Amino acid sequence: MNNENIEMSQDALDDLTGRYLTFYIGDSFYGIELIDILEIIGIQQITPVPGLPNYFKGLINLRGKVVPVIDVRLKFGQEEKPYDDKTCIIVVTIQNMQVGLVVDSVAEVVTIEGSQKNEPPLLGKNGERYLSSIAKVNDRVILNIDCDKFFQSDLRPY
Amino acid sequence: MAIDPSMEPMLETFIYESNTLLEQLDEILLESEKSKDLSKDSINEVFRIMHTIKGSSAMMEFNGISSLAHAIEDVFFILRDDNTKMNGVGEALFDVLFEASDFLKDEIESVQNSAEATQDPNEMIAELERLAAIMKGEAPPSEKKQEQPVKEEQLAEPSSDSCRVRIHFEEGCQMENIRAFMLMTQLKDLCDEISSVPANPESDASLCSEIVKNGFIIDFKPASQEEEVLRTIENSVNIKAYEVLTKGAGEASSNETVSQSVSLHENSKSEAKQAEHKKADDAKGSLPSASKAKQSLVSVNQSKVDQLMDLVGELVTTESMVVGNPDLNGLALDNFHKSARELRKLTDELRDVVMSIRMVPLSGLFQRMNRIVRDMCKKLDKEVDLVTEGGDTEVDKTINDAIGDPFMHMIRNALDHAIELPEERIAAGKPEKGRVTISAKNMGGEIVINISDDGRGLDKRAILEKARNNDILTKPENEYTDKEIFGLIMLPGFSTNKQVTEYSGRGVGMDVVRKNVENVGGTISIDSKAGEGTVFTIKIPLTLAIVDGMEIAMGGSIYTLPITSIKQSFKVTQDQVIYDTDGTEMIMLRGECFPLIRLHRLFNAHTDVTNLEDGIVIQIESGDNVACIFADELLGQQQVVVKPFPNFIGKYELKKLGLSGCTILGDGSISLILDANSMLNIH
Repeated sequence: MNNENIEMSQDALDDLTGRYLTFYIGDSFYGIELIDILEIIGIQQITPVPGLPNYFKGLINLRGKVVPVIDVRLKFGQEEKPYDDKTCIIVVTIQNMQVGLVVDSVAEVVTIEGSQKNEPPLLGKNGERYLSSIAKVNDRVILNIDCDKFFQSDLRPY
Repeated sequence: MAIDPSMEPMLETFIYESNTLLEQLDEILLESEKSKDLSKDSINEVFRIMHTIKGSSAMMEFNGISSLAHAIEDVFFILRDDNTKMNGVGEALFDVLFEASDFLKDEIESVQNSAEATQDPNEMIAELERLAAIMKGEAPPSEKKQEQPVKEEQLAEPSSDSCRVRIHFEEGCQMENIRAFMLMTQLKDLCDEISSVPANPESDASLCSEIVKNGFIIDFKPASQEEEVLRTIENSVNIKAYEVLTKGAGEASSNETVSQSVSLHENSKSEAKQAEHKKADDAKGSLPSASKAKQSLVSVNQSKVDQLMDLVGELVTTESMVVGNPDLNGLALDNFHKSARELRKLTDELRDVVMSIRMVPLSGLFQRMNRIVRDMCKKLDKEVDLVTEGGDTEVDKTINDAIGDPFMHMIRNALDHAIELPEERIAAGKPEKGRVTISAKNMGGEIVINISDDGRGLDKRAILEKARNNDILTKPENEYTDKEIFGLIMLPGFSTNKQVTEYSGRGVGMDVVRKNVENVGGTISIDSKAGEGTVFTIKIPLTLAIVDGMEIAMGGSIYTLPITSIKQSFKVTQDQVIYDTDGTEMIMLRGECFPLIRLHRLFNAHTDVTNLEDGIVIQIESGDNVACIFADELLGQQQVVVKPFPNFIGKYELKKLGLSGCTILGDGSISLILDANSMLNIH
């Protein structure tokens, strides 16, 4: 019984690795590893917090938990775009902390094989330094975001 | 030595009880050492404590603990008969007792961590035995022997309405004599008269075999129902069987095997409770200054209290969700509002009760400081009096736990670095004995704790030099004010002592103290005069959990300001506004001028209300500082549950901006909580 459970959860983990949630920022197609993602919610009331960098949109109430929200567009240094009903917040977990990412719209979950991934170019502007890999699936280019790198500048050094 | 699995559930109780008892022990010892005398009550109390620890640890099969407790008990057994016997060995006795108490604490901690007790107390036992021998040497206690026959005589003719019960313990349960004694203690309350064969089973471990062989015989005269006594016997652990030899009515019957169940627990619990009761009595009698706050209490797992607090927090939020529900807008609901008010009253009361459950007096913490001072004085050859004031001030348990280490560190610093050696003190024209004062008082929603010493004071030049060497100065040296210089010692990587000593200067310095205090929402400041001493002032919010807040609207957001920091709110007219030479706005109020903080400027937010006459001005205060803040409008009062900011944005130190946390309002939206203290400090 117990062993079965362990095997099952192992299976579940296996299922998640290599699978990516893809979303749009403008015309670009980005991916985040499913294993980091807690949930996807629609846009909701965000309480602005002073004293934070501009890409921090503020705090949301996620079922009684207070979660900070980052606008990925602004973090990438792109123009702000008004939120509409396609706008989503992807809640990810990083180092046991939750943070929401505001994206233009969520696309789908894709499985990316190792062979489909390429190292990102070392030199690059804007978002590229946050990338873990670039993949090509069904003729579409997916820019995979490395959450650790993405949040590095926001996390406390200790 | 791993613990018997069947004992597992009792482990927690054992640890809790032993810790409580050891704390009492320390308190008594310190008190007694100060007065250089052991009162009769104290001796009995120590005897009781050791006895309980011995008994319970033996049952848990922690032999090291139990044999040490036994040795201490032996010493106090001698003292109990004649407390003059401690003359001559006094100091050595206290030293070894403190050492033993530390040992026991360590052991219990290791039990807590690994469910094992590993160390060997033989050295201390030997020392205790040596002292006992010295004490005995002067006049060996013969009373013990006299006592027994007397009792047995009594036994020979049990009075007509008393009964005699023979008890057999389970085979191999060990420490039968202690178990017998514990049973006696338990029965004592139920009986008018009680005696046993052998008498005083706890005093001699060799009686074990006798008890195993002949059983343990109790004669008692029940206070009320005989059955009640028998039931208690029945419910005790490790008792295999008992037979009633003579009943009041004269018939004899033997009884079935008693199963082992709950009650080892109860056994030791009731003893601990008695000890505590007795302790309270003692406190009234002989130790009036110390533990007034100690009462007989129910022990509850802290996680349950935390959970209760969370639930009450949710309840408060839900209540305002219901009462302030937008669906109700525009409806005339007299009865509803009546009931809502009732509900509000009840939740308020509930909240107050739950918060009071979490409150603990600071006296326990102060007590621990006493101990540190004592030990350090001995080691450092300094003489220091620790004066504590306001020990009955209560703080939230979380706060109490969080400030323990900082306190210890500051006291150590004071003793190690600040207080001079006696010779130096005399040369400087100070009293030979140093003085460290800890005082706590409750000031308007905040606890203010002062830790002051009359030592050499902080050396500003040395601090600046060190800071310069460590490269932590951020502006030219001559621009630093005294307060700022003292503040430097709380920066990471600063430690003024030249060499590392056992007690302080191990790299973790005042920056850790500051961090710990700030973690519970407190602030710390330092004041010092060369040659006269140093004062650390710590201010901590009374409770972290729920505050009464005033909701303030500003630019589409709702901010919450704790009611305790509001003096008043009012509309201003243009003629009340004065401008400083550099354009700073000030409000003139009844002849006094107060700086004006515009929230929208402070937070760099957009609002339509920028004309002072359109908005509202709120006068806030913290300590001696008063200022006015300007916002759009007041929305009303609400109780809110304070939530800290998510760790994720911890890097940005929002506290410095005047925000202490956030809260979820009744409609599910988030409101930021303003912190008057830090807002006033920015100014």
